[in-house]
Amino acid sequence: MNGIHDMGGMQGLGEIGYAPDAVAFHEPWEVRVHALSTALAAFGKWRGLRPPLESIPAADYLALSYYERWLWAVTERIVESGLATRAEIERGAPDARAPRAAPALRGADARAAPLARPRTELDAAVPARFRVSQRVRGANLNPATHTRMPRYTRGKVGVIERDRGVFALPDRDVYFLDPKPQHVYLVRFEARELWGAAAPARDALFIDLWEDYLEPA
Amino acid sequence: MPAAGAEYDRAPANLAIVAAMDPPHSDTPDTPDASDPALRVKALESLLVQKGLVDPAALDALVQLYEHEVGPRNGARVVARAWLDPAFKGRLLADGTAAIAELGYSGQQGEKLTVVENTPSAHNVIVCTLCSCYPWPLLGLPPTWYKSAAYRSRTVADPRGVLRELGLALREDVTVHVWDSNAASRYLVLPIRPAGTEALPEAQLAALVTRDAMIGVAQIAPPRAPGARS
Repeated sequence: MNGIHDMGGMQGLGEIGYAPDAVAFHEPWEVRVHALSTALAAFGKWRGLRPPLESIPAADYLALSYYERWLWAVTERIVESGLATRAEIERGAPDARAPRAAPALRGADARAAPLARPRTELDAAVPARFRVSQRVRGANLNPATHTRMPRYTRGKVGVIERDRGVFALPDRDVYFLDPKPQHVYLVRFEARELWGAAAPARDALFIDLWEDYLEPA
Repeated sequence: MPAAGAEYDRAPANLAIVAAMDPPHSDTPDTPDASDPALRVKALESLLVQKGLVDPAALDALVQLYEHEVGPRNGARVVARAWLDPAFKGRLLADGTAAIAELGYSGQQGEKLTVVENTPSAHNVIVCTLCSCYPWPLLGLPPTWYKSAAYRSRTVADPRGVLRELGLALREDVTVHVWDSNAASRYLVLPIRPAGTEALPEAQLAALVTRDAMIGVAQIAPPRAPGARS
């Protein structure tokens, strides 16, 4: 969706706030939100937090800190998947009639889950529409739902640098729809193609794009 | 904006409270409402434990993992090994995920790892414009600035300006390659090995490698003179 999260190329979004010794977690609750997210994702009731994160109204998205957004997204996922009700969350206590559940991750198993070697690539034999060195153009797609195609690539011409293999299309997979397995390509865009003549001539940007996001150029 | 209003109406009450307060600045930990999310997380955690959905021991194990076990020391070891072992470096650049598994590293956000090599003529920098994609098994969780709206928005369009602001001035004849890690792959920069390190063993080389050099916003300084301990 054309949401605030799709920030590539925007201007006026404040300071980077860089510090060489910056840390990931500033407050003890932040890592606990991260841990809660992992423990709950193991139920398999949702595919990632991106759809709820991307649905946060733009003004709130910018006002909230990173892990406040995560807290929002995890809460939305908990409610929409039925793990707990909004009333239970607001009360901070379970409904007396609710049956007691069993955790998806227990004790030491929990530590192993994030460290397991993941395999996101699919074995499906799907023909590749594009080949390495072929020129391609970013399609003019404007879904109101989740996509991994940043808007700055739309209509821009690049060159296929590498075929990444076959993956589920997140635009469908995150909603548990037919994942439409297809090739993902590493595409090289010249900086001047994306940002105009003022960009340095030899600079380039590389990004992985699903086949549906591309058309021949 | 009716759509946005409709979204907002569905928001939990606590978001409205947060939005009504001073916006928390993502880089200042002591914002006025810092205690508010802390209380909400505590209440949520308590609810989930009472419902049996979350095992407190599992949460503690995950916190320990994310806070202390995954981190840039892993990536630094990979970089030092690549500097010392050309065959490993070749495997690392060809298939990052398989090569880091040789050193025992794997996990979520490490799939399809692509390692990009800095050279005197080409500099690589990594960003995630859509979210916060980052190679967790090698670098841990990303620092706040990497997740900032400014870094995410500006790095793709003006990488040289961003790098200059972060203290890295590149010569004009150095090509800049930006990697927007939004999809199937995660990225790690293989920094340039600094001069004066020819005699150093792997552990001492790894100690020189910084997280930010592996993101591509810094270069690695030569080792300090003998006797000057860090």
